[in-house]
Amino acid sequence: MSGMVDFKINGRDIQAQRGETILQAARREGIYIPTMCYISKTTPCASCRMCVVEVKGVDGFVLSCNTPAANGIEVSTDSHDLHVERTNIMRLYDVNHPLECGVCDKSGECDLQNKTLEFNVGTQDFSARDERRTIEHWGLINYDPALCILCEKCTHVCNEVIGDDAITIQFGGYSSKVIPKNSDTLDCTFCGECIAVCPVGALVSSDFQYKSNAWELNKIPATCAHCSAGCPLEYEVKHTSIDLADDTIYRVTNNFEFTSLCGAGRFGFDFDIKAEKDISAFSKATEALKNASAIRFTSMITNEEAWLLNRLKDKLGIKLFNEDARLFAEFMSAYSSVSGKKHYSADLSQLKRADGIIMIGSMIASDNPGVRYAMTTAAKHNGAKIIYAHPVEDALMQNVVTQFLKYEVATEEGVIVLLAKYILSRCEVDSKTNEYLENLDVGYLSAESNIGEDELELMMKSLSRTRNNILVVGIDVISHKRATNIAKLVALIEKYSNFSVLIVPKDVNTLGVSLICDLDKDKAVKNTVGYNADGDFIISSLPGHDLTIPALNQQEGTFTSIDKRVLATNPALSFGGYELNDIASVFGLGYRHTIDITKELPLDCGFKRVEFDELNNFLSELGEDVRGYKLTEIEINNPSDLQEIDDLPEFNGTIVYHVNPVLQFNSYTNLTKLLEKDTSLRGSAQFAIAARIKDGDNIEITLPNQVVLMRKFKEDASLKGMIALNPIFDMGHEIIKYRFQKSQIKRVNNE
Amino acid sequence: MSKVYFSTWNGEFINNINKRQEEWEESAYDLPVMYDSYRESKAFIGWDGVAIFNEDVDVIRLATEYAAQYQVYSEACGRCAPGRWGGRILYDMLDKIARGEGELSDIEHLKEVSKTMQTTSKCEIGKTVPTPILDIITHFEDDFMRCIHEKQPSKHYDADIDYIAKITAPCTDACPAHVDIPGYIEGVRDLRLDDSLIATRQTMPLAHTCGRVCPHPCEDACRRTNLDEPISIMELKRLGADYETDHGFGFFHPAEKKPKINKKVVVVGAGPAGLTTAYYLALEGIDVDVYEELPVLGGEVAVGVPQYRMPIEKYNKDIECVKDLGVNFITDTRVNADMMREFENDYDAVMIATGTRISKKVRCNNEREEIKGYWGAIDFLDKINLFEKYGYTISKEEQERYMLPASHIDLTGKTVVCVGGGFTSMDVVRCSIRANAKKVYMIYRRDEKTIIRNTTYEEYHEAVEEGVEFLFHSAVNTIITDEDDKITSLLIDKFELVPDPNGGRAQLVKIEGESYNIEADYLVPAVSQSANLDLLPSEWELKMTSWATIKTNGKDYMTSRKGIFASGDCEYGPMTIVNAVGQAKRASSVIARYVQTGEISLSDDEIMEDHLRKMRVYDKNEKVTGWLPGLAREVSIKLDAHNRKYNNKEVNLGFTQDEAMNEADRCMRCYYIAMTAV
Repeated sequence: MSGMVDFKINGRDIQAQRGETILQAARREGIYIPTMCYISKTTPCASCRMCVVEVKGVDGFVLSCNTPAANGIEVSTDSHDLHVERTNIMRLYDVNHPLECGVCDKSGECDLQNKTLEFNVGTQDFSARDERRTIEHWGLINYDPALCILCEKCTHVCNEVIGDDAITIQFGGYSSKVIPKNSDTLDCTFCGECIAVCPVGALVSSDFQYKSNAWELNKIPATCAHCSAGCPLEYEVKHTSIDLADDTIYRVTNNFEFTSLCGAGRFGFDFDIKAEKDISAFSKATEALKNASAIRFTSMITNEEAWLLNRLKDKLGIKLFNEDARLFAEFMSAYSSVSGKKHYSADLSQLKRADGIIMIGSMIASDNPGVRYAMTTAAKHNGAKIIYAHPVEDALMQNVVTQFLKYEVATEEGVIVLLAKYILSRCEVDSKTNEYLENLDVGYLSAESNIGEDELELMMKSLSRTRNNILVVGIDVISHKRATNIAKLVALIEKYSNFSVLIVPKDVNTLGVSLICDLDKDKAVKNTVGYNADGDFIISSLPGHDLTIPALNQQEGTFTSIDKRVLATNPALSFGGYELNDIASVFGLGYRHTIDITKELPLDCGFKRVEFDELNNFLSELGEDVRGYKLTEIEINNPSDLQEIDDLPEFNGTIVYHVNPVLQFNSYTNLTKLLEKDTSLRGSAQFAIAARIKDGDNIEITLPNQVVLMRKFKEDASLKGMIALNPIFDMGHEIIKYRFQKSQIKRVNNE
Repeated sequence: MSKVYFSTWNGEFINNINKRQEEWEESAYDLPVMYDSYRESKAFIGWDGVAIFNEDVDVIRLATEYAAQYQVYSEACGRCAPGRWGGRILYDMLDKIARGEGELSDIEHLKEVSKTMQTTSKCEIGKTVPTPILDIITHFEDDFMRCIHEKQPSKHYDADIDYIAKITAPCTDACPAHVDIPGYIEGVRDLRLDDSLIATRQTMPLAHTCGRVCPHPCEDACRRTNLDEPISIMELKRLGADYETDHGFGFFHPAEKKPKINKKVVVVGAGPAGLTTAYYLALEGIDVDVYEELPVLGGEVAVGVPQYRMPIEKYNKDIECVKDLGVNFITDTRVNADMMREFENDYDAVMIATGTRISKKVRCNNEREEIKGYWGAIDFLDKINLFEKYGYTISKEEQERYMLPASHIDLTGKTVVCVGGGFTSMDVVRCSIRANAKKVYMIYRRDEKTIIRNTTYEEYHEAVEEGVEFLFHSAVNTIITDEDDKITSLLIDKFELVPDPNGGRAQLVKIEGESYNIEADYLVPAVSQSANLDLLPSEWELKMTSWATIKTNGKDYMTSRKGIFASGDCEYGPMTIVNAVGQAKRASSVIARYVQTGEISLSDDEIMEDHLRKMRVYDKNEKVTGWLPGLAREVSIKLDAHNRKYNNKEVNLGFTQDEAMNEADRCMRCYYIAMTAV
């Protein structure tokens, strides 16, 4: 059977993929069919019925959004009859719709408004007795059922793209409305996706509501600065008052038709910093650098800043510290030694299309929501089998994960080698690899990691029909003390099986920094300059510094995202102070503009000679990600051997896992006004008993390096076992490598 | 034939307005003229028209109430713009007229909204609700005009009349368990697999099972057939069940279990009927004890249906779902008459669901139980399944009795002949292949077409692929045994179908001289089963059917003795899982009321369900509009014969997500709403 279908729309010859709907084909060909409920990234809601079309020889109207094109059919998308019925539907939609456009947030960008105008519905001919409907206040989100047109876009994205599945329609004819699912109030991760997709003013941001007319806002296209997913977004800014010279960010929006944002991206936008040019601080900074033995920095910077820092290192002959990026680079170097390639093979769009996923070493819902959403899409739309290997079971992932492999803390090397053994048992491998895998002490590995052979067999069974497999590797693996051998094992899987590999960089530009900078192992040395990090002299966009530099929403530059894509970001707000480029200029390394560096980024790492201004900052009309450019793949020929598996360590007692709650990532998200800042240690009832603490207690956590943390304890019914979750977004620049730590917990006075 | 005053049902037009009763023309349809045994109906209105049974009926209010019911039935409404707003407007305008406040323009608007609903609604309910309303507006225009011009309420606007409505669909109606099929398919389409499973479990607790081994009578009543091919309804049921299992969720019950009401019911038999009874009674807060003779739960689905068709780990999930409600199971206990007498005293009601576990004879010469190699299908399958699924081995004595070389059924080098034609016989022959038999025959009196109709195309086709040889139009004449009373061969007669010259049923007639011998080691009769009802105390004198099963009225499933109920095969005779589930679901609803009130009654929903079933919802001649024809039915992948023949791997791999979604998209959501005025 051919994969293509030939048919006609309005007399035009159209070719479609088998399975492609009439509406999809029409849109691809630029043929207009009106819709009110259709959204490209979910299954059709099919509630508006506006997209009906006529097919020659078929009685009645056919719905184009969920009818696949068939060979030889002749479709017409516009006729008098269709127009009459579509107009009638609009007349129905308008029955009793509150005439509050004057104040409604959506006014000016409202689908109902637009279509009412398009179909010229000027009067209300039909009437229905209206009902009393109450506005719901769900934290960051408000819902007005009177404005709701029941298009179901919100429930579809919540379930199919985000995975929260937190809202549903309460069906009841005319009284139907959106309600929280299985809960009295909205219990979700507050990504705000429902607000984004709402075509009317029913679901709105409680913060933004009644603050501004949509048409007064300027949209600044940018890339989200919170994690490595590299989500496109638009900062919407406006000049507020004569007292304030600068613009203010009012909200963040996105091209919701094709992309998603997490709540941090959507609501955590106000992390900018104000500064004037402080000449004295500037000269102190240059002085500090001249005397410095090292610069310490984080990966929350642009590629261009990273490049400048690396130039400074060379010029000044000092060391460059960034443990996050250094570990990533080390991991990738070991990986390349087996795979023969500079970069890992998969990206998020492949992950969305996958039907078999193994995820190891991350609490992904908080580490990288973009990866989570791609996994949700895969689970829902492809029925992907998702195996989630981690010591902590994440309740948020339950409706996505089909098998949970709970391994013992710190046994990642054992788990990966077991995965390799089982996955490669189906593949042709070379004799050396074969021997390596044959000689494994599976009994020992299985017993110590607590991953049973039956579990691995079940995994293989569930992957027996999958074709697009991806192994996703998280930060707990990269930061493991056996990371280099683990990286080789991961590469082995990639090399011999049909698995692609996706490695999740921790911060927004971990990948870029790891490629651009030549990093040194961070040692306690004197005279360090911190760049957004701790040091004896601190240059930072965070509070508590010696010289202010702009935050990432105030800078032009690029990030290298998890997709190995170089993405542009633009300043939403102005900045009056000095930038790194100014400092570099003092040392003769400066450029006219920071973005002049974009084309200078190292070619041997896959960067291209592309000017910043040539980087696209939008999606194509059909939703393809054509932003920036993709890193070039580089062949690496530096083979190295697998090491013998180390003894698997044992972690007992009360263990703390340093992981952020959803929506918090770092010191920047911690600065924002809207995002919740719960710094409690969350643990299970079992943990509370073992630590002799109870919900609400103030506690003292002593970590192995004698660091002491003060926290409140919160008992969390969704957690099990002896691992409690400790947020790190408020801990500044505290460097914690492997995120699981043994700890001593002590209750302190509770007055 | 029904006596009506006026009817537009199903395209007929009977108008007895202004005619004397004696001259009334009758309707061709079996309409619910009597609502139940003691109440007459005033009118019946539904997707296909309206029937009015006497001249006094207030037709305006009838139309209004029909529109109102559409609003009330939340499950089918609110999901599309034309339905959500249109339905409300229909109701408001009709009620406005009925109140005496209507205007002429309202009639025009009603027609306009109706047209939009008919052409653009998401489901058939939205498309069809205006149909009878327009019929009433057209044919009873005078009544409307009177209300509008005189500003008077309709004639019985304030009268106390019961309007009893019921949502159905052709597939739901044809399903013996009346599963909300469009509901669960919508769940798949919307990727809300929890909702899908909940829709199934409202009337069908065995979602894994009936997503695999149901003969799906629903698919014969699928309206999509009128357009191209029926939806693959059965297989779509698996999606919800697999979702729950794969993600390790708790059980998605269709309702929260009610608090205990301190009533208890005993169920005899833990097969589909017993499990279903227990499930729905437990949901009602009733304590349930289930007695099972076998060491394992599940009845014939566990020990009869083979692993390759119904993996036990999946069936066990269905069973766990019942257990999850706190049902108490007592296995390895055969209930006898004394126990039954005690049960009657100790429990508020008794459900007999013991199935039919005696293999009937093939009725041939020299047919004796004690012949070596003569092996009833039920026992044969018990032994296979108890070993393959649970590891129970066969005792030394029985090994000898059945000439087995090992403690499980190994038929290496043996020839097995099965006589049958139904599902059980298919299981026997395909299990024999898997037990490594040298040669396997199926002897069937009728032809290929009939065996497919009695089972499924897949089942027959797969058996052929695996190497079973089907001998059609054949029957065993004589079993030939040797000196040890062991089967050596069978004498087989050949038949042909001779049409009755008088136009009656064609007769099977033996073809003389065409009989032949086949060598055989085993003869497995799988022609039918009968019920073993030793457990019934003789003094109860329960009424029996002519085929020796327990008699009930087929509506409330109470036996001739008050408080004693029967469902499943022991009531109906050997039939399908879904039939047992349907009976038991109904019975459990009756029992739940009975234990509280002492009365046997049917709910309005059940009464309507029976009326509709009698009328039949599916109309194979109906022309379907508004859907693109020619979308092929998805077919799930089956294991290749060589990959499945000698193992117990599940043959049907089920739909991939893609296939399932394509298939779900074909469903036309043919909900209908019917209403009776009483």
